Amino acid sequence: MKLEIEKLSKHFSGNQHPAVDNITFLMPAHEILSFVGPSGCGKTTTLRLIAGLERPDQGIIRLDRYIISDAHTFVPPEKRNIGMVFQDHALFPHLSVFNNIAFGLRGFSKAEKKDRVSELLKLVGVEPLAKRFPHVLSGGERQRVALARALAPEPVLLLMDEPFSSLDAHLRLEVREQIRNILKVSQSTVIFVTHDQEEALFMGDRLVVFNQGKIEQIGFPETIFHDSGTRFVAAFMGESDFVSGKSNPTGFQTELGLLEQQNDYSTGTDVEIAIRADDIDFQVNNQGNGKIINRFFRGAFNFYRVELDSGEIVHVYKLHTEIYHPGERVMTYFNAGHPLKIFAR
Amino acid sequence: MLRTEALRSNRRRQNAPIPKIAFLAGWVALLAIIPVIYILIRALAGDTELWQRIIQTRLIKLLSNTMLLVLTVTAGTTLLGVSMAWLTERTDVPGRKIFRWLLALPLAIPPYIGAIVHLALLRPRGGLLSQWMEGINLPSIHLPNPTGFWGAAFVLIIFSFPYVFLLSGAAFRSENASYYESARMLGRTPWQTFWQVTIPAIRPGITAGALLVSLDILSEYGTVALLRFETFSSAIFVQLAGRYDRSAASILSGVLILLALIILYGEFRTQGRAQFTQIGSHWRPATLIHLGKQRKWGFLALFFTVLVSFIIPMGLLLFWSTQGILDNQTFTGMQIGSRGLASFIFNSVWSSGLAAFLAVLFSIPIAIYVVRHPGKVSRLFSRLSQVGYAIPGVVVALSLVMLVNRFLPFLYATPLVVVMAYVVRYIPQAVRSSESAMRQLSPNLEEASRLLKRNAIQTFIQVNLPLILPGLLTGSALVFLSSLKELPATLLLRPAGYETLAVRVWIWSEEGFYFQAAPAALLLVFISIIPLYFLLRREAIFKQ
Amino acid sequence: MFQKLLPVFVALTLISSGCAGTTSQPDPISFNENGNILSGKLIVYSGRSELLIQPVIAAFQEKYPQLEVLLKSGSNSQLANTLLEEKTNPQADVFITTEVFTAHALSREGIFQPYEPTGYQNLPDAFKADDASWVGLTQRMRVIMYNKDLVSQDELPASMFDLSDPKLKGQIAAAGSTNASMQAQIASMIQLVGQEQTEAWLTGLLENEVTFFGSHSDVRKAVGAGEFELGLVNHYYYYLQLAEGSHVGIIYPDQAPGEMGIISNATTAAIIQGSSNLSAARAFIDFLVSAEGQKIFAEGNYEYPLLTGVALHPDLVPTDGLSLAKIELAQVVDHFDATFDMIDMANLP
Repeated sequence: MKLEIEKLSKHFSGNQHPAVDNITFLMPAHEILSFVGPSGCGKTTTLRLIAGLERPDQGIIRLDRYIISDAHTFVPPEKRNIGMVFQDHALFPHLSVFNNIAFGLRGFSKAEKKDRVSELLKLVGVEPLAKRFPHVLSGGERQRVALARALAPEPVLLLMDEPFSSLDAHLRLEVREQIRNILKVSQSTVIFVTHDQEEALFMGDRLVVFNQGKIEQIGFPETIFHDSGTRFVAAFMGESDFVSGKSNPTGFQTELGLLEQQNDYSTGTDVEIAIRADDIDFQVNNQGNGKIINRFFRGAFNFYRVELDSGEIVHVYKLHTEIYHPGERVMTYFNAGHPLKIFAR
Repeated sequence: MLRTEALRSNRRRQNAPIPKIAFLAGWVALLAIIPVIYILIRALAGDTELWQRIIQTRLIKLLSNTMLLVLTVTAGTTLLGVSMAWLTERTDVPGRKIFRWLLALPLAIPPYIGAIVHLALLRPRGGLLSQWMEGINLPSIHLPNPTGFWGAAFVLIIFSFPYVFLLSGAAFRSENASYYESARMLGRTPWQTFWQVTIPAIRPGITAGALLVSLDILSEYGTVALLRFETFSSAIFVQLAGRYDRSAASILSGVLILLALIILYGEFRTQGRAQFTQIGSHWRPATLIHLGKQRKWGFLALFFTVLVSFIIPMGLLLFWSTQGILDNQTFTGMQIGSRGLASFIFNSVWSSGLAAFLAVLFSIPIAIYVVRHPGKVSRLFSRLSQVGYAIPGVVVALSLVMLVNRFLPFLYATPLVVVMAYVVRYIPQAVRSSESAMRQLSPNLEEASRLLKRNAIQTFIQVNLPLILPGLLTGSALVFLSSLKELPATLLLRPAGYETLAVRVWIWSEEGFYFQAAPAALLLVFISIIPLYFLLRREAIFKQ
Repeated sequence: MFQKLLPVFVALTLISSGCAGTTSQPDPISFNENGNILSGKLIVYSGRSELLIQPVIAAFQEKYPQLEVLLKSGSNSQLANTLLEEKTNPQADVFITTEVFTAHALSREGIFQPYEPTGYQNLPDAFKADDASWVGLTQRMRVIMYNKDLVSQDELPASMFDLSDPKLKGQIAAAGSTNASMQAQIASMIQLVGQEQTEAWLTGLLENEVTFFGSHSDVRKAVGAGEFELGLVNHYYYYLQLAEGSHVGIIYPDQAPGEMGIISNATTAAIIQGSSNLSAARAFIDFLVSAEGQKIFAEGNYEYPLLTGVALHPDLVPTDGLSLAKIELAQVVDHFDATFDMIDMANLP
């Protein structure tokens, strides 16, 4: 099974910009693809277009060989064989867990239903809850039942729309891991939408980063994180700060000094350099180029927020033994050990 | 939290091509509005001479009478309703839990039955009270005149206040302790807190309730006719019953409808702000106010209200009924043509039941359209379908007589015309409760169902319907209750041999046959208590 | 839960359509020459109060038990309006009114069909339609009743026009302008003494704070209970109140020579053009003007039967002992609009 999206667009009336702007990508079977981006970026709309819950203005959606949506065709959601898990689980309150899961099994005999539902109850680990009703279940249990329900009719594609955002923080990590295991065990093909960068990096085999209706970058988590294609991805996914600089034959001249790095920019180009807290360091120095604003205790490390004299904010990791105080002037300098990402201004 | 989610995803749907449900909803809105349009056309078509004559002779007087009554009764019911609600919800007055039920019971008593009791008790020389006083040799105190403005206002206040009582009761009950406590922390006394925090919070709900009461009073016929206070409604009835030409009635009806539409529009504007069941996750109930020594006054106020609005009327009806049963003339006197009491009961129940069913059925497309496709068009359809609030029973009858005879003659002179009148008049109640029920449903449920291989109709039947059924039943109980009590339209539209309990009570009372009227009235009240009980149980205010 | 309610709704729909069926047009009749087997439905519109028409209907039903009599009662004008509306789609079989003007007006509109019941020749011509489209049943007089405990013999008013005497302020009860007999009285007076005088009389009543009730039953009971000294009613209401044991008396007004005379009227019955149960309708009219039917009116309701030879109730004053007003039927009907106008302008309740 292969999902192909070609030039997909959707514009809601009353909004200035399109919600989804000419998106194209491919997705193979058995992959978990994470859609990530800030709110309003178009990730959920794209999901709903794939599900058939919205009609696109233009573009083609193909599932394997079949066109499920284009200018002439629109296959309604009930015929697409796509499953979906919603943010608020959307379990039917008037049906038991068993009947919720069995809901999508049309045309199955009673025995067949029983078999399939038991299989799924076991898969997601909610066997004792079969006869209960949704309102007595915990948040995590509900999401697992929602997953079972979506998987029951063996859809070719599973869509998950921010399924963990209604769970308490500590629960989220645990449930997340369990769900990923279940998805891998069942070899499902999944598109997983989230606005949480960490979650996206954890859940996805690959990531699609959305911004204002467009795709910023598609790639493996490591690539997205370390080799961000655009400034936006670096900022949103890469936990990066930015320092401005000017290019010259050997590297870039910045507030933090000269960064020696091979580059193809013509001399004098203004650039932004993406740095992480482990890429730079500082020393206490009265003549320094910045001052400490805050110290965040992180157990093994201290995480310092430094304001450079130009006003730009950068962050620096130090060992927990190195304690400095807000207000102290420091001299900040590069200490990366590997090439940094450069973006033209 | 769920509500904003629904809003967010509902906004997305504006772009879909015109949904099929819009056509169904449009039909319902059209049916609801046709009677109004017809009347307005007839009114405007009346010749200017007739207009002049009516304006000269009666319009000003009718207008002032009607508005005076509406304002007085609305003010009175608001005062009474809110104070009773406050006593039973926010203070520690003894027996308040029982009073919450007792104070709602007058809704089962149609106001014209209250007027009958009122008249029978207080007639200056023939009334029961004065006879009783003579009997025990009390010097005859000057009893208030039961007829006229004050009599009508009093009766209408006593039997309409439960509506405001229930709405403000719900509001008081959902009051969040933290608002109250923060006001106290910021230096307000309890009394100031009441006026500056509590009342503003519940004001939208009270306003909505008061406006609906005022629409009810505009429509009221039985009470004002019996107590001889002339308002638009009774004047229209007189025109219909006493003149050979429908034009004058149409003109008066046109004016009345315009008046009512203004009030209805005001009610629509405040409706959106009446939020009572927004109970957030950190809600705590407000603590009770201790009345201390004043407890007995609170108790007496509650008791006295229940006495006047329920115990005395029911007592008198029981008294008459037992007298009537003992007198064997009574039952022969109940025969009308070849029809007897059993047929009156049957007619009341089946016509109200059918009206309730149809009203709820027709309200469903509107509810689906409004909630799933919010926008100007769906809101317009919803409002159009609620125009029935603004059409008094008399006017509905007038328009249906003219319309049905002309366009649907096969329906004419069948009981179905009566059912049609009920549906046109009371469908707004069904529309409101259906809309409210649909709003509680997350749209995700429907989407989940679609993705689980159900099409739109199957989704509605297997997912929506079971979940909104309680709301639909509430709507049907409301329509059933209102149709049972309906008087003027039934009087005018009923075919020969078709009598309902309401009509019988009225006609017998008009002729002074209280021994026949009372058992019918009692039956009417008892049957009304069934849907009322169902409605009250569903009200959050009664959940402990 | 929905499954449980479905049969209830289905049942309701079936019942309701069944009911709609039963009150639609009646079944075809089967009719025996002797008139003993009539079946189907007879739809009667009655402007008369139910209490007063029910006994004769009950007696008629006993004679023809297969027949189902469906009664719709209302005011004369309301039912007249209905009949006019229904002209192209007639629903009723028989119409009974409390006064002749409505009958005459409707007859001119072609609402009725002519029929000469058995004994037609024994009814007075004054109370029959020229074309036999309606017949009079009983006669009634407009009188003044009084409470004997409150008023003494020498204080009694002798004429309708005495009712505006300030002495009687607030002491008089009457039926309001929606009442057909009241309308008929006003219409008759316009024809008898002219518009100006009638208007003055009406204004006088209002200035004298006459209390206007919805029906004559209210009036007679109020006078009987002592709430009012005087009541303006049809004569039989006085007798009904007397029969209940009240201490009341009756005045036949305007009897002196040159005075107006008693305003009288008659109840009528007519068959509707397009009636679907003609035989039953005819049998009913026959019954109403038969000795048997007339006797019920005379004895039960204290009315003046129009069929010659039927005995009055012993307490009644025979008509030849009374000076009756001479009313020109057609003229009154022609100017009936003037009556309504006057009522409106005077603001009669």
